[in-house]
Amino acid sequence: MDLFVSMFAATIVAATPLIFAALGELVVEKSGVLNLGIEGMMLVGAAFGVWAHFAGLPMTVALAAAVLAGAASSLLFGVLALTFMTNQYAAGLALAIFGTGVSAFIGRGFGSTPVDAIQPVHLPGLSDIPVIGEMFFQYDPLVYLSFVLFGIVSWFLYRTKAGLALRAIGESPDSAHAIGYEVIRIRYMAVMFGGAMAGLGGAYLSLVYTPLWVENMTAGRGWIALALVVFAAWRPIRVVLGAWLFGGMTILQLQGQAIGLNVPSELLSALPYLATIAVLVLISRNRQAMALDFPISLARPFRPKG
Amino acid sequence: MKRATRRDILKYGAATGLAAGLANLPGAARAEGKLKVGAVYVSPVSEIGWTKQHSLGIEAIRAEFGDDAEITVIDSIFRPQDAERVFRQLAGAGNDLIFGTSFSHGTPMQKVAPRFPKTAFEHCSGIKHLKNLGTFEAKYFEGTYVAGVAAGHVSKSAKIGFIGGFPIPDIVGPANALLRGAQSVNPDITCNVIFLNSWFDPGKEKEAAKTLIAQGCDVICSMTDTATGVQVAGENDAWSIGYASDMAPFGNGKHLTAFTLNWVPVYLQAARDTANGTWTSNERWLGLADDVIQMSPYNDDLPPEATAAAEKARAEIIAGTLHPFGGELKDQSGALRVETGQSLSDGGIRSIDWFVEGMIGKLG
Repeated sequence: MDLFVSMFAATIVAATPLIFAALGELVVEKSGVLNLGIEGMMLVGAAFGVWAHFAGLPMTVALAAAVLAGAASSLLFGVLALTFMTNQYAAGLALAIFGTGVSAFIGRGFGSTPVDAIQPVHLPGLSDIPVIGEMFFQYDPLVYLSFVLFGIVSWFLYRTKAGLALRAIGESPDSAHAIGYEVIRIRYMAVMFGGAMAGLGGAYLSLVYTPLWVENMTAGRGWIALALVVFAAWRPIRVVLGAWLFGGMTILQLQGQAIGLNVPSELLSALPYLATIAVLVLISRNRQAMALDFPISLARPFRPKG
Repeated sequence: MKRATRRDILKYGAATGLAAGLANLPGAARAEGKLKVGAVYVSPVSEIGWTKQHSLGIEAIRAEFGDDAEITVIDSIFRPQDAERVFRQLAGAGNDLIFGTSFSHGTPMQKVAPRFPKTAFEHCSGIKHLKNLGTFEAKYFEGTYVAGVAAGHVSKSAKIGFIGGFPIPDIVGPANALLRGAQSVNPDITCNVIFLNSWFDPGKEKEAAKTLIAQGCDVICSMTDTATGVQVAGENDAWSIGYASDMAPFGNGKHLTAFTLNWVPVYLQAARDTANGTWTSNERWLGLADDVIQMSPYNDDLPPEATAAAEKARAEIIAGTLHPFGGELKDQSGALRVETGQSLSDGGIRSIDWFVEGMIGKLG
């Protein structure tokens, strides 16, 4: 039981950076823009968070710096892809590479000092409940923030007029433009939201999860977040479930190795990927339902006519 | 403008040929009197870790040769296809001595080296050496053995944990030796092993360390390129053993020791030999006795007998009276691999693909 509880808690934490980044990308893609630069934006966020922290700023400010840095880096993509209508795949990849380099530059000199991590909050009463308290009420504030942001993103996309407009732009920018929506402006906002979320996910890694700075510390999480959005068929709840599944399988395979399970470690290491793909493909196997959620104009540049 | 006549071409051609012929003579490689050194790193030089330790070697050359050396460093070259171009460029630019610092630089160096026979190539962690391509590697297992002796003294649960990148001999050997060192203190100690199957993933490393601690391991040795394992152990009140650089600042006061890599003697020797024209390609496998593996300062909170025992093991390994893989040595299944009085051969260690008795984990 103890083992299960600790694995559950570890899963929630491991999934949090993925949830931030993937929810952000979900909104971007729902607006019809494909930004492949998540990995770069996460690294920029991670590096700026550490930079602000070592500059002596309080944690909240460090997180804000990471969010702003992520959003600012996404603007680079925005200018290329939205204003100059370059190929979105190329612009996104450029951002991924650029972000990796910039973050390594920003992070120079920070590698030898640990970061004072943001600590879990202790909720009087709730955190002390056996099992339940440990499973649900012993996380750092950002884990709860990821739940809140999931709620906000779902509510925004499916329950607000602005969310409807954003989805409409992802489906048919021409129609949305014809009835008076400023497609490019709204897409810019979506892209910046995605950048901010990726920055937050990166800062979660460098300030909370593994509180230190190393170049490339995201180790591919940006790409996993990107894949999650696709496999989750552009549904927020599935993004969150997919992230938990991926995190859970990662932790499970490490447990398997540690107890000496009679399976080669290479195979165990592949498990999270296999399981996540299998499950998400299974739940998204209804093609018609899939088509409803897929933003048809994804990655197509929009040029306003007239 | 004067047009080149056939006579000119013959004249200059002969001169060029003569120069080229002369340059091929031993000792004539450095026409300008400056030693040109190139180095290729797999990552940027950060404050700790693998590349940092290599950069210290280059810095030592810079310090010794001063203005007499011209040094070119190119970092973040990991993939072989990039590396080949870079090595060719460095050799073409007239570098006399070129260092490659990763196993993945091996194939490109083997391709480029034969085309630049005057250039000395040195490859760290390489396995194949050519006429002008030397290889050097560290005996990591000597370091883990000494750290293991200290770990054996402090482990209360008699369980230690090891985190490695990939299940290759250079990682499996040190993991085995860590346990052998610990078992020399307490024969009942076991070691849980997790391979990340990635050279670099701090997040996964964190989970691996937490998993090992949850399994009851109270000493964690992390042979990866970040301080995450050391950090997580410290947060959870477990001892840690660092690798490559001294990782004490990350250990929350629980950093036992680290087996650090000191390539300075190798780099300096290669530079001096190249400058003197006496460089030849060698295959070197260096350990505690060569000062290439060093133990970082032991934790002050260690019981004195633990520090003393670790230092004794270190001295005995240097003296050659103790071998980390000395018999009697049984494998995971209990089968006898090395008899008493013998020790595992060098070849056997460099290709080790089995766990010693007491290891918990599965290989391939």
